[in-house]
Amino acid sequence: MNGLTRLYRTYRVGTTAARLWSMYKVPATLRRWTGRPERTNEELEPVNERASAVLLDLAFDLRGVIIKMCQAIATRSDRFPPSFIDQLKQCHDAVPSKPFEVVKVHVERELGKSLDEAFHSFEPEPIASASLAQVHAAVLHDGSKVAVKVQYPDIQEIVQTDLRNMRRACRIYEWLDPQPLELLPLLEELAKHISYELDFEREADSADRVRELFKNNDTVVVPRIHRELSTKRVLVMELVSGTKITEKNAILEMGLTPRDVLQDLMHIFVHMIMADGFFQADPHPGNLMVTPEGRIIVLDFGLSKELPDGFGLGLFELMFSMMTLNEAAMIKAFTALGFQTKTGDTKTFVAIARRMMRRSDTGRFEGEFTEEMTDELFDAIREDPVVSVPSDFVLVGRVFSLLSGIAHTLGHRANVLQAMGAGSPG
Amino acid sequence: MGLCFVRSSLIGAKASGIMSESPEPGRLVYTPKELLSDGEYAEPLYAGGVLCHGGFESDGAYRPPRTLHRTPAIAAWQGQIGAGGGELVTISDEQVPPQYPSVDQAKLLLKAGVREPIVRALTVISILEGFGAIIRDVRVPDLKELLLEPFDGTALAHLDKGLFEAHARDEAGYRDQGGHKQMWEAARDLALENPTVPSDVFMRLMGDRGRARGGGDPLFPQLDKKLYRMLMMMSQVLVIEVFARGTFEWGIDVLSDPEVSAEPEKAGTMVRYIQADESPHVEYLRTGLSEIRTRTLRTVDGKTIAGREVVDGILHHILHRMRESRPREQRDDTRNALIAAVDAGEAKKSLLEDFDAMAPEWDRPERTGFEPQAA
Ligand SMILES: Nc1ncnc2c1ncn2[C@@H]1O[C@H](COP(=O)(O)OP(=O)(O)O)[C@@H](O)[C@H]1O
Ligand SMILES: [Fe+2]
Ligand SMILES: [Fe+2]
Repeated sequence: MNGLTRLYRTYRVGTTAARLWSMYKVPATLRRWTGRPERTNEELEPVNERASAVLLDLAFDLRGVIIKMCQAIATRSDRFPPSFIDQLKQCHDAVPSKPFEVVKVHVERELGKSLDEAFHSFEPEPIASASLAQVHAAVLHDGSKVAVKVQYPDIQEIVQTDLRNMRRACRIYEWLDPQPLELLPLLEELAKHISYELDFEREADSADRVRELFKNNDTVVVPRIHRELSTKRVLVMELVSGTKITEKNAILEMGLTPRDVLQDLMHIFVHMIMADGFFQADPHPGNLMVTPEGRIIVLDFGLSKELPDGFGLGLFELMFSMMTLNEAAMIKAFTALGFQTKTGDTKTFVAIARRMMRRSDTGRFEGEFTEEMTDELFDAIREDPVVSVPSDFVLVGRVFSLLSGIAHTLGHRANVLQAMGAGSPG
Repeated sequence: MGLCFVRSSLIGAKASGIMSESPEPGRLVYTPKELLSDGEYAEPLYAGGVLCHGGFESDGAYRPPRTLHRTPAIAAWQGQIGAGGGELVTISDEQVPPQYPSVDQAKLLLKAGVREPIVRALTVISILEGFGAIIRDVRVPDLKELLLEPFDGTALAHLDKGLFEAHARDEAGYRDQGGHKQMWEAARDLALENPTVPSDVFMRLMGDRGRARGGGDPLFPQLDKKLYRMLMMMSQVLVIEVFARGTFEWGIDVLSDPEVSAEPEKAGTMVRYIQADESPHVEYLRTGLSEIRTRTLRTVDGKTIAGREVVDGILHHILHRMRESRPREQRDDTRNALIAAVDAGEAKKSLLEDFDAMAPEWDRPERTGFEPQAA
C-alpha cells in the first residue's frame, strides 16, 4: 500500500466525521442558540437515513477497522435508530467484494498451486464479504463442498493505517477531553484482536478446539477445516448452510421454536465461558446459523480466546452478588475478576453494579446482561476513571450483550444463570 | 400432621418466638413484609467471618431466618387442609436415594489425603443452593381465573406475596447477609481449611451434552402454560429439598468427624443450621401443592381437571426421573474426580478399588407413591 492510499484513508475518515458533525451537532447547536426545541425522533429520521448511508459508504470503501465499528453499531438496536441498523447490518456479510481475478492470484500465491490444481471448481462470486476477508464456495477434487475464506490481499497494511489513524485520533481526544476515557489501551486490545483475526492458522486451531469441546453435544456444528489447503491467509473449510439466527420467521417456517434455538445458543456460549474457559468471542448474527434440524452453526473463530483459570467462577460470583444485592460479595467478585481502582476505594464497584442493575428491565439483576447494562458499565467506568477493567471482561461482556441482542430479536431474553442449567424444569 | 420445622433434638431450637410483633397462631392472611420478617435475635450468625441470616435466641438456640410469621402461617394453612378433609402431600423417606459418596467413602478419601472430590462435592452443593434463588423468578399465574374453588388464606395466595422471595433469600442470601450458599462454603472452608476450589466445577455442573429441551412434551398440555411451569418448578424443588435430607445427614456426619475435619464442632453445626432452615421450604411447597390437589383446575380448552390428577402426575414423573438420575450423576461426578486424581498420580489405584467396594447400595422402591390411580 502506498502513501497515497494511506493519505486517502485518513482523508475519508476525516471528511466523513465532519459530515456527520454537520448533520447532527451543527443544527442542534443552532436550535439551542435560537431557542427552538430539539428535533424529534421523527424529524431526525431522514437525517439518520442520510447519515447511515454516509457511514455505510465509508465502511464499504475502506473496510478494515471501520467495518468492525459499523458491525458493532448494527447489533445495537437499543441505541441506534432503525435506519442505522438496517443499513449497517449489511456490514455483517454484504460488503462489496474484490474481483475474482484479484482473489485468484492471491489464493494461488498462498497455496503455491493453480486454482485448478487445488479445486475442482471455484465460484467466482463470493458468498459473503466482510471486514477482513471474503468467502467463496468451491468444490474439491474429491467432490466435497467447501467454503474458502480469503483475506483481502492488502488488508494487513490497511489495518495498520487505520489503527495509526485511530491512535492519532485518540491522542487528540485525550488531549481535548478533561476527563478522557482511556481509549488507547482499548485500541491496543482491538489491535491485538485484529491481529488474531488475521491469522487463519490460529483460527483453524480455535475451530478444532471448540469442535472438540462439543464433541458430545449434537446441537453444535463447527465446520471442519481442510488443513492441507489452508495457510495464514486462506482458510478452506466444510461448506455449511442454514438460516441466519436472527431470521425469526424463517426459523418458524422450518418448524423450529425460536425459544429452543435461543436456549441452545445460550447454552453453547455460556458453556464455553463458564465451564470451558475457551470461547468464540464474536457471536454477531453474521456468524451464527440454524440448520433445519435445529442445530446451531458457529462460524468465524478468528476472535477466540482463552480465559484465565477461575474466570467462570469469578463471573458466577459477580452475577450472584448482583442478584442478591450483596455488596461485600460484589466487591470480592469484582476484585477476583481483576477489576482495580487506583485509589483502592472499593465502594466504586458497588456503585457500578447498582448502576448496571438500574438499567435492567426489572431494576434487578436476574441473570441477563442486557446491552443497556453493559453500556452502563462502560459509561460508569468512563465517569470514574479510577477503575480499570480486565480486558477479558470486556470481551465476555460484549459476547453477552450480543447474545442479548439476538435474544431480543427472537422475542426472548438471554439469561446466563438459566443457561447454566438453573432453568425451570419441563 | 405434626409440624416439626426445627429439629429440636439436634439443635435445641424453638420455632416459637415471643417478640414485640408476636405472631398470631391460626391467622391465615399475611403481608409479604411479615412473611419476610425475622423478628429479633439476641445474636446474629456468622459463618467463617461472613454475616449470615438467622440468629440466636437469648438462650442460645438457633432460629432460622424469616420465620417469625412464616412458621405459624404455614402451620395454619396446613391445619386448614386437614380440616377440609384433605391430606398433605408426603414424599416418603424411602424415596430418598443414598448420598454418593457415602459417609464412609468420603472419609476414606479424606483420610487418604485425596480432598479434591469432596471439595468439589461441597462446592457443587453450595452452588446449587445458590441457584435455588431462581424460584423468585417463577411467574405466578392468575389463580382466580384458573381455580374453580376459592383459595383466600392459603399458601397458594402467598406464593408471590413473600413465600418464593423468602425461599430465594434463604438459599442465596440477601443484601449483606449470606444464605445457604455462603453457609455451605463456610462449612467446607472450616472443615477442610480453605481448600482450593476446583476451577472446572461448572464443567461438571453443566455437563458436556446439549441441553435437554424442556424435557419433551408437557405432561398436561391442556393446562395454562404459566400454571404448568409453576407446578413443575414447585414439584421439582420439593423433590430436591426432600432429597437434601440425605445430604444434610451426610454433611453433618463427615464434617463433624475430628479425624477428617479441622473444625468438627463449627463445621458440623453450620450444616445443622442449614438443615433447620430448609424445613419451611419443604413445608410451604407441600402445602401449596396439597392445596392445588384439593381443588379443580380450569384448562385452556374450557374443560376442568382435578388438581389431584395434575399434582400426582407431575410428582410421579419428577420423582421417577430424579430417583434414578441424581445418584447416577453424583456417582459419576465423584468417581470421575477420583479417577482424575489417580491418573495425575495423586491417589493410589487401590484407593479407587476400595472406594468402589464401599459404594452405597440402594433398593429403589418399586413405587413412587404418586402413581396415577386406576380409572
Ligand atoms: N463454512 C462456511 N460455510 C458457509 N458459509 C460460510 C462459511 N464460512 C463463512 N461463511 C459465510 O461467510 C461469512 C463471513 O465469514 P466469517 O468467517 O464470519 O468472516 P469474517 O471473519 O470476515 O466475519 C459468514 O457470515 C457466512 O455467511
Ligand atoms: Fe438451602
Ligand atoms: Fe431450600
